Formats: sequence, structure tokens, C-alpha cells
Amino acid sequence: MATVLKNKSSITLRGSAEIVCDYLNYGINSILYQRGLYPPETFRNEENYELVMLMSTDQKIKEFLEKTLAQVKDWLVERIVNKIALVITNVKTLEVLERWDFNVEYEGNDTSKEQKSEKPLNIIKKEIRDVLRQITSSVSFLPLLDCLCSFDIHIYTKDDVELPNEWAESEPANIKNAQCVKMKSFSTNIHKMETVVTYKNEDF
Amino acid sequence: MNRHSNDTILKMINYMKPSVNKMVDDTIADEAEETALEDFSFINKTPLKRTASKLSLDGGSPTTPVKKIKEDIKKPDWDYIGSPREVRRLRADLLETRNTISNLESRINHMHGIRKEMQVLFDNECRSLKKQTEHDRKSILELENQLQTIRKREQELKLELVEFKNKSSVLKISYDQKIEALEKKLSDISSEQKAHHGQENSEIANLQRQILELQNALQIAKEDSEVHQKLTEKLENQLLEKNSAITELEMKNNEIQKLKLQMKEYDYIKENYLEFQEQAKTQSTKLAQFVQIEKENVQLRAENFRIKDEIKNKLLLEEEVHDLKKRLQKFKEQEAKFANVQMQLVQTEMYLNEWKAVARGILEETNVNDTALPHLLRSAVERLQQQELTLTDEKVNLQSQLNTALHDSKVAKEELSKIQKLLTKLNGTDEQKKNLIHRMQKKLLLVSRERDSYRLQLDSYEKDLTMCVNTSSLGSQAANQVQSLKERVENLEKIVTGYRDMVAKLEADLQNTEHDNSDLPPIRLEQITRLQNEVDKFKQENERLRERKDQLEIQLEEYLVGNDTLRGGRVYHLSSNPLSECLAQRDAHMQKLQEEVDRLKRKVKNMEEGMESSKLVDISMSTKEVQMLKEEISNHELQTQRLKDYFKSSMLEFRDAVYMLFGYKVDKSSKSLYKLTSIYAENAEDILCFQFNNSGHLNLLETEYSSRLENLIELHLRHQDSIPNFLSSLTLDLYSNRTMITEQL
Repeated sequence: MATVLKNKSSITLRGSAEIVCDYLNYGINSILYQRGLYPPETFRNEENYELVMLMSTDQKIKEFLEKTLAQVKDWLVERIVNKIALVITNVKTLEVLERWDFNVEYEGNDTSKEQKSEKPLNIIKKEIRDVLRQITSSVSFLPLLDCLCSFDIHIYTKDDVELPNEWAESEPANIKNAQCVKMKSFSTNIHKMETVVTYKNEDF
Repeated sequence: MNRHSNDTILKMINYMKPSVNKMVDDTIADEAEETALEDFSFINKTPLKRTASKLSLDGGSPTTPVKKIKEDIKKPDWDYIGSPREVRRLRADLLETRNTISNLESRINHMHGIRKEMQVLFDNECRSLKKQTEHDRKSILELENQLQTIRKREQELKLELVEFKNKSSVLKISYDQKIEALEKKLSDISSEQKAHHGQENSEIANLQRQILELQNALQIAKEDSEVHQKLTEKLENQLLEKNSAITELEMKNNEIQKLKLQMKEYDYIKENYLEFQEQAKTQSTKLAQFVQIEKENVQLRAENFRIKDEIKNKLLLEEEVHDLKKRLQKFKEQEAKFANVQMQLVQTEMYLNEWKAVARGILEETNVNDTALPHLLRSAVERLQQQELTLTDEKVNLQSQLNTALHDSKVAKEELSKIQKLLTKLNGTDEQKKNLIHRMQKKLLLVSRERDSYRLQLDSYEKDLTMCVNTSSLGSQAANQVQSLKERVENLEKIVTGYRDMVAKLEADLQNTEHDNSDLPPIRLEQITRLQNEVDKFKQENERLRERKDQLEIQLEEYLVGNDTLRGGRVYHLSSNPLSECLAQRDAHMQKLQEEVDRLKRKVKNMEEGMESSKLVDISMSTKEVQMLKEEISNHELQTQRLKDYFKSSMLEFRDAVYMLFGYKVDKSSKSLYKLTSIYAENAEDILCFQFNNSGHLNLLETEYSSRLENLIELHLRHQDSIPNFLSSLTLDLYSNRTMITEQL
């Protein structure tokens, strides 16, 4: 748990970004496990937020997430990111079946890099735990993914971002006959994270 | 260790006094031996210290022996310089002692080696001995165990022996009892036999006596029979004599009868002769009358012929008469017919003439031969018929034409009526139109009047205006009024132009309406209604479309849910994400599959091409193979059948052989159950059953028959435990029984 605690449990901007990225890492792994995108035997248990989280042991996924989240963290500090989306696509038809939106809002009036939050860490953790629980329980209402699927992570930024190497522009992922479910949100008083799942409704 | 000790020893020797030298030598030797021994015994302890301490004790310096010795040595050095010979001697001694020391050392070393070897040997031996002792101990234990078991067994055996002895004594007693019983039986039987013997002897004596009596009686009977034979001979002789007398008597009777027969014959002949005489007389008389009779006969014959001819003639005449009568009748009929025919002929001739005249008339040729007339007539008639045919054709055509004309006329009439209807309708509409025109004209009048009134109004306004202008030119106060009036005028002018526009519009409308109304007012009405309907329809459609729009809006909202919101920014992702990797993998996989499919298609094609040739070979091969296999199967079946037959025959033979050799017929009824019937069995139901038990021995099963053989079973099976003995003894028993029976019979 890489939270940065400085001077009587105050959280810096960078620390907040780290908290958010940790949440994203666990949340994405959890979704990958729950939605059955990869075989369950490639996941191992890891306890966090007082929950048993399942983390992928696939080297490729790990590398991909590491790279992506490092970039997200930088951009979060720079306040460029609007939204991070985990897009699940049918490989055969290239149809987008599910989109997990992690909407980012920047709180507080201070826009400098020295912004600090006094929100206690255990409350933030509790909030994150609630969201992760919701993600885990979302399997009960989401449609079964009975085809070969893969995922991608899209980062929605404000205009004028200098693209680092290995990054490319992507298309927005629209879903037909969609239904969306909002999860709980959590906030570090610097970043507010809202999780929304949008999925294709098969019964339509 | 040794070297250390030796060094110390050497040092000691070097600084020893010459007087004590020998002593020292001895002590050294002793010491060396001692040290060696000490080393030997305390090999693991620190010998250096010990030796050193011992030496120090010998040297008389308990704390620092070397230094003291050195101090000791330094003092005598000064004293002993004077005698070199002694020194030489001492040196020689020293050398000798050194030699001896080295010798001793080598010996000690050698001894050490030996000791070590010995120790190793001892150790080995010790180990082996220990092993042996352990082994022995084990064996002893084992042996003890064995001994115990053996003892136990011995005890058991003893107990068994005792039991057996008891049993045997019991058995002995029982057998003794049995033997006694059997002896008693034997004695009974022998006594019975003796009694039987006595009885039999008395019976035999009686029988012999009877035989003698019977022999006497037989002799008497023989004598009687001889007497009777003589008597019979006599009687036979008498009988013969009497018989001969009887035959003579019969012969005489026969002769008498023969003579009587001759007598009767003679009487008969005599009577015949008398009759003959009478007949000869009558014949002679008849002969005299014969010629006359013959004449009469001839006459009568002739007469007869005549009568016969007459009769024949009469019959012929009668037939002729009959025939003639028939002919007469026919002729009469024909005569009547003839008269009729003549009449007809006349008539026909008349007709003919008439016809001819007619024909001539028809042909309009009087000088025509009668013969050519019919032909001509026929041709004329044919011509006429053809004419008639053509005429009928024409008639038919004309009739059809007539029909069509009638139909046309009907149609025309209908059209006419329609047109008349239309005309009336049109007249009606015309009137309506006229009415409408009238109304419109009235309206027009009204409108024109209205227009006139408007014009009048306008004129009045204009007048007003001019009046105002005129009034305004007077006075300064009126300047404001003028201003206001001007504004008013402008306003009024605007209004007027508006009115004018309106009027013009109205006029145009009026004209339009007039024009339209004058043309086709009813159609216009229809149009209006139609338009109204259309308006309604459009309204409905409008509502429908609005609903549809609402629906679509709802749908659109739903679509919007699925749409991604960019919020005016951009979307970025890592170019090497799992999706793209997955897609690339998939593409590669697809390509591979495609290649494989192509390859397989080619293969299939090749196969198909190559199939037809190979197929034929395959099929022929397979059929050949099938035939071969079938033949093989049939061969095998034949073989098995033969084997079966052979086995059956050999089995039967074997069974027969067994039956004849051992006297028992063996039948295997079910699983390991054998039924035996003896060759000498008294009944067919006397069967012995044997069955294999689990340990592979045969058991005799209880049957009705076996229960009767308790003695044999007891003896041979229970005692001797031998089935062959049992069976053979049974055979012997049965055989003896049988032969006994046959002898008795």
C-alpha cells in the first residue's frame, strides 16, 4: 500500500494520485477476474483494504497495467485526466460489450502542486472497500460474456496532451442497447472517483 | 611425540656425566621402553608431558628441567676437558648408544606398526566376534523359540496321542464287542446251518425211500404194459381178419350193383327201339305227301312276292300323292302372289312412266334414252344437294350475322339508355350550375356594392383630409394640429393602402371563386370533402408521427447512455494493449487456419483425383479378402465339425470301453456330478452319485441305493478311503448275487 502520509495524516496530490491508481489496479484486476476474461487459475489471492483481492499473475497484464497506471498517475497529478475506461470488447466482432468508466473529478480550490487533503486514510479506504465490494457483486446482474473477449484501458484527457512513446489515440467506445449502473464513489478530497459500468443489454 | 621424547633423551644424554653414562644408558633404554610402553598404553593422552615430567623427576629438577640441566652441564664441562681418550671412548660409547637408540627406535617403530596392525586385527576380530556373538545370540533365540514351539507341538502331539490312545481303546472295545457279536452271529449261523443240514438229511432219506417205492411201482407197471401189449397184438390180428372179410363183402355188393345197372341199360335200349319203329312209320307217310307240299310251297312263295311288290308300289304312290299335294298348295300361293305382282308391276310401270316424265321434265330433254335417264337424274340430284349444302352454309353465316347484329343493337340500346341517363344528369347539374351562377351573381352584386360603399368611404376620408388641410393653413396654433394631422393622414393612408390591398385580394378571391364556381361546383364540393378527409388523415398522421417522435426520442436517450462522452477531450491508450495483442493473435491463428484449410482442400482434391483408381483396387481387394476369409471360416467350421464328430465317436467308444472294462456306466449329469450304474445292477434306479468337492476329491452323495450299501461304504470308503475298492467289491457282490440267482433258477 503505497499511500504517502506526511505530517499528521495529510495526503499530498501525488499521494492521492497513488491512492487512485492503487484503487484502479485492484479494481481492474478484480473486474478481469469477475468477468472471466482470463482463466481463474492465473489469479492469486492478495489481501488489501481488508478484502481478499484476486490479482492476475499474467506477466503481460501486469506489465500493461503497470505502464498504464504509471502514466495515469502522472496525468492525475497534472490534472489532465477526465476519465479512465476499461473497455471489454468481443474479439470476433469487435463489438464493445462493456465499459467500466472511472470518472475523475478534481476537488478543492487549490490548483497548485502543494494541495493537501486532511481526510483520514481509513475513511478513504473504507470508501474504496465499498466500491470494490460493489464491483465484486456486479457479476450478479451483468450479462454473461460467453464469447472470446479482451480488454483495453482508455484514458480520456483534456486537450493538448503531449503523447509519450507507445501511446496512441483511440476511438470512443460506444455501446448499443446500453444500460448503465452507477457504483458508489470515493474521494480523497483531491480526486473524486466515480465508477460506472455500462453494458450491452442482451434482452433488449 | 616420539621425536620430541627422543630429542629430550638425546639432550639428556649429551649432557650426562660419563660415570653415570652406563647407568644412564640402561635407564635410557629402560626409559625408552617405558615410554614406548606408556605410549602404547596411553596413546590418546599427552605423552610429551608425561615423559617430560618423568625425565625431570629423574634429573632431579621439578620445575624447569632443561635450564637446570644446562646449568648442571655447564659446570662439569669445565672438569672433564683433561682426558681425551676418555672423551674418545665416551664418544665411541655415545655413537654406540646412538646406534642402539636408533635401533631401539626403529624397533619401537616396528613394534608400534605391529601393535597397530595387531590392534586393527584385534579390532576386526573383535567386531567379527561380536557379530558372531550377536548372530549366535539370535540363532540361540531362534532356536529357543523353535524349541518352545517344538515343545508345544510335542505337548500337543502327546495330548493327541493320548486322545488317539483313548480313541483306539474305545474303538478296540467297540470292535471287540462287534467281533463278539459277529462271532455269536457266526455261531448262530453255523448252528442254523447244522440244523438245516440235519433236516436236509432226513428229507433226503425220505426222498430215497420214496424213490425206491416209485421204482417198484414202475417195474410193476412195466410188466402190466407188456401183458397189455400182447393182448393188443392179438386184437390187432383179429381186427385184420375182420377187415379182409368186410372188403370181400363190399366187392360182392359192388358187382351186384354193376349188374343191376346193366339191366336197366338194356331196358332203355329196348324202349328206344320201339319208338324208332313208330317214327319210321310216320316218316314214310310224310315222305309220300312231300311232292304235293313242295308244289304248294312254290305257289305260295310266288304269291308272297307279288303281294310284297304291291305293297311297295302302294307306299310309293302314297308318298307321291303327298308330295303333289304340297306342291299344289305352293303353286296356289304363288299364283295368288303372281296376281299381286302383276298388279304391282302395272302400277310400277305407271309410276316409272310418271317418274320418267318427271325426270324428262326435270332434265328438260325429251329425247333422252331411258337408260341414261337415271344417271342424269342422279347427277342432277347431286348438284341439287351440293347447292343445298352451300345454301345451308350461307344460311348459318347469315344467322350468325343476324345474332351479332342483334347483340350490337342491344349494346347500342344500353349505351343509349346510359347516355340518356347522363343527359338527364347533366341537365340536372346544368340547372344546379345555373342556380349557383345566379347565387354567385347575387354575391357579386353584394360584393360590388360593398366595394362601392368602401369607395364612398374612401372619398369621404379624402374629403376629410382636404378639409383638414384647408383648415390647418389658418393660424399658428394650428401648426401643431397640422403636425398631428399629418401623422394621422399618414396613418390613414397606410390603413387605406391596407384596405386597398384587402379589397384587391378580395376581388381576386371573388374572381377566383366566380371562375371556379361557374366551372364545376359539385366537383369542387367533392374536392372540399376530399380535402377535409385528407386534412383529417393528415392530422391523424401527425399524431402518429408525434408519438413515433417521442418513441424515437426515448430510444435516442437510451442510445445516448451507451455513447461515450468525450467532454471535448481525447482518448488515449497504450498501443500495445491486450485487445490489440489478442486481435493480432487471432489474425495469426486465422491465417494459420486458412492455410491449413487450403492445404486440406488441396489434399482432398488430390485424394478425390486419386480415389477413383485406388477405390477400384480397394474394393476388389476387399471382396477378394472377404471371399478368402469366408472360405477360411467355412474351412474352420468344417474342421470343428469333424473334430466334434471325432470327439463324439471317440467319447462314445471311451465310455463303452470304460463300461465294459470297469463295469460301470459313468454319466455326467451336471457340474462335476457323476452318476454310476453298474453293469450288474439289479434295478435301473440303482445309481451311485459322486461329486468333486472343493479340495478336488470325489464325494459319494447319498442316494436311495447308496443307503442300502452301508457296509461297503463303511469298510471301503471310511476305512480304506478307496473308491476303486468300493466299486470293485460292489461289482463282485452284484456279480455273485446275480450268479446266485441264475444258479437258483
